[in-house]
Amino acid sequence: MPNEELMVRIAKGDEYAFQILVERHQTSLLNLIYRFLGDRTKSQDLAQEVFLRVWQAARSYEPKAKFTTWLYRIAANICLNELKASRRKKWLRFFHVDRGEQAGGEDDFSNGSPSPEDLLLARERSRQITSALQSLPENQRMALILKRYDDLSYGEIAHILNCSVSAVESLLVRAKKNLQEKLKFLKS
Amino acid sequence: MKCRSVQKKLSAYQDGELKPLEQEEVNRHLLSCRSCREEYEQLEGVWQTLGRLEEIRPDPWFYGQLARKIKEPLEHGLSPAIQRVFQTFGGPAIASIILVIGLVAGSYLGSNLARRDLFPSQSIPVSYSQSAFFASMSVFDPAPPGTFAEGYLRMAGYKENESR
Repeated sequence: MPNEELMVRIAKGDEYAFQILVERHQTSLLNLIYRFLGDRTKSQDLAQEVFLRVWQAARSYEPKAKFTTWLYRIAANICLNELKASRRKKWLRFFHVDRGEQAGGEDDFSNGSPSPEDLLLARERSRQITSALQSLPENQRMALILKRYDDLSYGEIAHILNCSVSAVESLLVRAKKNLQEKLKFLKS
Repeated sequence: MKCRSVQKKLSAYQDGELKPLEQEEVNRHLLSCRSCREEYEQLEGVWQTLGRLEEIRPDPWFYGQLARKIKEPLEHGLSPAIQRVFQTFGGPAIASIILVIGLVAGSYLGSNLARRDLFPSQSIPVSYSQSAFFASMSVFDPAPPGTFAEGYLRMAGYKENESR
């Protein structure tokens, strides 16, 4: 059943249709958020938040663009808001005495039980890539993730980020240049 | 096509976003130009490296938690937007609201009680110059007219008179 039809059912309060939609998109959405924020636990919460918005906005949903474009636009807004909020929290934390707490944004690769060497190496490489991605400016990062992992067109990315196609092109050129510098050591 | 213009288009070429004619031109240039080809290979290298990023899976209870959340707003009576505002600004927001309400209510009560003529029968007719003189002297009162203290004292006095 197409996404648009599921949305019509969801608008009528059909929870089963909602479950199908969630199960269809949860992995891609979760990974989009995870790659953007680099925090596994927070990504689960925010992915749920995105679906919650889908549920609430189902009645007003109009299939003007592809469903995934609409879904990713919600996700991009939530991710960008989350970054703003976490920056605000960090600023507030500056005035608190308790500095023992982790600043967030770190992921939990190191929390697992001992794994085989190759798995550890892969995870370490993954951690370094995540960290390189995190160092990109927000819009460059989001554009790059949407292109690299979700294979969206420039037009779709422009719609999600609410900018022009040429702006997306220039975001991607700069993002790739930046990553080229940061990931040099991984290729060698 | 010159190297400079090719290098500007390499990213879009890699993403397959050029028009077919441009795509073909860049393609031809890359076959003949070693330095641009190296530049493109570096871009491809980054793209391949990014592909090694691991994929995560949703928690097994992902939908269960979500299903509970979609019923929450009804149970709590607050919309998620309002809940988010409270979660983000919580304490400071409530404290500011209480402070503002306190200030508004205080100034309203103060000025209203002070200006209200609670004892119309006690007012003595005086000339304009006399009343201006009395008014100017009132700044030396412990509770000058128009203040909350004066309003309170007048109200307390009024109640005392009433009880007699």
